[in-house]
Amino acid sequence: MASLIPSANASGTGSMTLAGPSTNSNQIVNIPDVTGTMMVSGNMPAFSAYNSSSTTLNTTTWTKIGLQTEVFDTNNNFDSTTNYRFTPTVAGYYQLNGAVSTNNSAGSLLCAIYKNGSQLYKGQVVPANSALGTNVNVSGVAYFNGSTDYVELYGYQSNGSAQTTYATSYDTYFNGSMVRSA
Amino acid sequence: MTLYDKIKTLYPELTERDFMTVITLQNDFDGKGDYIAKWEHPTLPKPTQEQLA
Repeated sequence: MASLIPSANASGTGSMTLAGPSTNSNQIVNIPDVTGTMMVSGNMPAFSAYNSSSTTLNTTTWTKIGLQTEVFDTNNNFDSTTNYRFTPTVAGYYQLNGAVSTNNSAGSLLCAIYKNGSQLYKGQVVPANSALGTNVNVSGVAYFNGSTDYVELYGYQSNGSAQTTYATSYDTYFNGSMVRSA
Repeated sequence: MTLYDKIKTLYPELTERDFMTVITLQNDFDGKGDYIAKWEHPTLPKPTQEQLA
């Protein structure tokens, strides 16, 4: 099996053109379309951010999680200062993953991915574990139009009183990456 | 007193399940506090601002 491996020049700029065969046979490379953009790792946005300053979750209230610290944000599409949301500027399908952790001693904890202000995916409901803390996850694939669509991470707990998130990179986080172009 | 506490005071019969299904309280972390994002309870009317004040 043959391979075609593009290699960037020293300055990181330039282009590579693949010419299709003149017949309708022996086609071994499929280009998205004549004017399309081939997606490579360099133009497929990815982000990872976490809660570095605890968010207070009032009981029985869906609360947006503050994600103040970015681990990476390859296309500058994550807002870690004001709205704590991911608004990719490249249209396509994205895998999203989120987690929320608290020290609930009663009730349950869950989290959800909100798209454009509405619940898109809700994670599992986990009963409180006062000894270990409680951690919940949510994941899913979502389509983004590349301009106005955005996602945020929300948490919910039913302890009976306000609880705060564990503000560490491995407890309360949100990340995602493009998996397919539009 | 939180919004949840005020609503539970008005309607003690509400259950946690109600708040997971027909009622949604929300906080968008924008400094505006908790609010009722959805109220679709089949028998109890949505509380007024005066009742929640």
